[in-house]
Amino acid sequence: MLRTVKPKNARSKRARDARAPKEIEDPRTAIFVRGSHTGEKVNAAMRDLMALKRPNCISFSKKNVIHPFDNTSVTEAGHTSQSSLEFWSTKNDASMFLIGQSTKKRPDGLTFVRMYDNRILDMCEVGVTGLVGMDQIKTKKCTPGNKPLLHFASELFDTHPRFIQLKSILIDFFNGEVIDSICLAGLEHVISVSLSPTPASLNNASTSAIAETKEDLSTLPTVHIRGYTTRFLASGNRVPRVELTPMGPSMDLTLRRHQEPDPEMWKQAMKRPKVAKKDIESGLGRKNKRKNTELDEMGDLRGRVHVGKQDLSKLVGKKMKGLRGGAVDVDMESDGDDDGDREDDQGARKKRKV
Amino acid sequence: MDVSNLLASHAAKYQTTDVDKETPIEVDAGFLTVTDLNPIDEESYKANLEEHLQSLARDGAQALVAALFKLPTTQSPDGPLAQLPKPTTTLPRAKPLPKPKPPTKWERFAAAKGIQKKVRDRKEWDEERQEWVNRWGRDGKNKQKEVQWITEVPLNADADFDPVKAARDERKARVAKNERQRLQNEARAQGSTSREERKQDIERTLATSRGSTASMGRFDRKLEGEKKMKGVKRKFEPTERSLDQEKQASLALLSKMDSDSKKMRREPASEENVLNVRKAVRFASKGRGGLALGRDAAGGKSRSGRGGRGGKGRR
Repeated sequence: MLRTVKPKNARSKRARDARAPKEIEDPRTAIFVRGSHTGEKVNAAMRDLMALKRPNCISFSKKNVIHPFDNTSVTEAGHTSQSSLEFWSTKNDASMFLIGQSTKKRPDGLTFVRMYDNRILDMCEVGVTGLVGMDQIKTKKCTPGNKPLLHFASELFDTHPRFIQLKSILIDFFNGEVIDSICLAGLEHVISVSLSPTPASLNNASTSAIAETKEDLSTLPTVHIRGYTTRFLASGNRVPRVELTPMGPSMDLTLRRHQEPDPEMWKQAMKRPKVAKKDIESGLGRKNKRKNTELDEMGDLRGRVHVGKQDLSKLVGKKMKGLRGGAVDVDMESDGDDDGDREDDQGARKKRKV
Repeated sequence: MDVSNLLASHAAKYQTTDVDKETPIEVDAGFLTVTDLNPIDEESYKANLEEHLQSLARDGAQALVAALFKLPTTQSPDGPLAQLPKPTTTLPRAKPLPKPKPPTKWERFAAAKGIQKKVRDRKEWDEERQEWVNRWGRDGKNKQKEVQWITEVPLNADADFDPVKAARDERKARVAKNERQRLQNEARAQGSTSREERKQDIERTLATSRGSTASMGRFDRKLEGEKKMKGVKRKFEPTERSLDQEKQASLALLSKMDSDSKKMRREPASEENVLNVRKAVRFASKGRGGLALGRDAAGGKSRSGRGGRGGKGRR
């Protein structure tokens, strides 16, 4: 671990404060690491992903011996792969990694690694099967650093744990910054992630069964990532008609190994800051102090009042003299069977009062 | 009046912006993300992949753009800014939540009394000069008494009373008090040691200092209410003793040093902490790294050029 020292001047203090945890976080910085061997395809894929991720990325252009899923092998200097990742994450203040590695067993692999508190949270490995780079598609490209629109298509992004994880990682990779406003004229490109048709084996099995059984990776559908630039055409109303032009990169990926987050660490990572007081009063937070109030269009405060459900069975009507007396008892006993408990109850009360 | 022609021409000019799907498309405007949960159509997927993907993406983007254009906007020089809602998707944080700063003693008092915090202006209005002056710092208002050319001296003042020095001392004392309070707040924030612990700590220090003169504090001035110290004895061994006694005393000392309960020199906890692998490799390979060492051991001829220094992340 890095030493923590007291800053000696204002500049280093500012640098340290910039790294301190914040309530609303900056976008994740990704480090692009090359493994011991990367093929042409992996290099091109990493280059294109880096072009989309800029400026929140750091490139390690030299090769590093790293096997993120294998924590038993130790490098010559006595480091495991995971400890190396943790060290780089601390040193560079980066919380995401994209590791490219091509081996005989797993050709053209890309591994997304997410960190929490400079420790590994979860990992997902994909294999690049098809790739058309941004430079091969001769169209206009988006501005570097422009925020993409993200599109996910398939029902598996809601049901299958592997694809839920992939979606979460990709949102974090491309768009994981909470912003409060966006310039509508600046929406330039779309990154679309869609899957091949869901195989029957995944369609039939329930989600819990998928999670339990050791799944066969070959049955998982292919992931298609495509980049498009947008054009807004006039549509006659306020919302424009959107047309897309391929921009690249277009990647076809297959899912490979993955590592689920440690439940305890995941719980820590999903902690949200307490909602500010003024947000609570305006009704954004869950702990809304002023429930059931809202401002209408005219700026008037409107409230809703909930009245509990009335119990009409206990309603006491006007008692008339003629209905009182011993005749009631006889009447109750005569038709007590067909009406059940409530009638009996009523009868009992009446008896007491008499 | 027949408007069907007009409508038809309008429809021809403009394409529709509506997206019809079996399952409505989920839009998370906060992350600019849209999720289309409809199953993928196998026929169109197999017929023409790129076209199929593009039409899917177009529908999704259209739905997202429609949602974004419906959001309330504010004007800016670059065009309208859509005010985004909070994201509905929850992503894990990259760092733990920041710890809240512990309140200072004043802040706790103010909270208890309901005193509102107000920020003091850095400038102050000077009535005489008719301008805004710094409250502190260069030509600050707090140094006014030290720089003014005439000062009223109280009647009962000493002959050597220096009003400038008095004002300066007073200001310096305020600064020192503030600094002391800051340090106390910091210490309180660090870790709240209990009153008992602090008392014990002070008593231990006092006992050490009292016993640190040659006479073990026998001739020191006694303070009011000071307790007599227990167990402080000054005992001189005779300079000459029999050999037997001396030997016994030395052995007793040695055995005390050797015993586990009062180890004088602690040994490192375990073997792995002793050996610094990185340093050992560097030493054994004369700085060329572990790979070179391995090659030498294997008997192969060592290549020059690539040093096997690893672990630091080569960028």
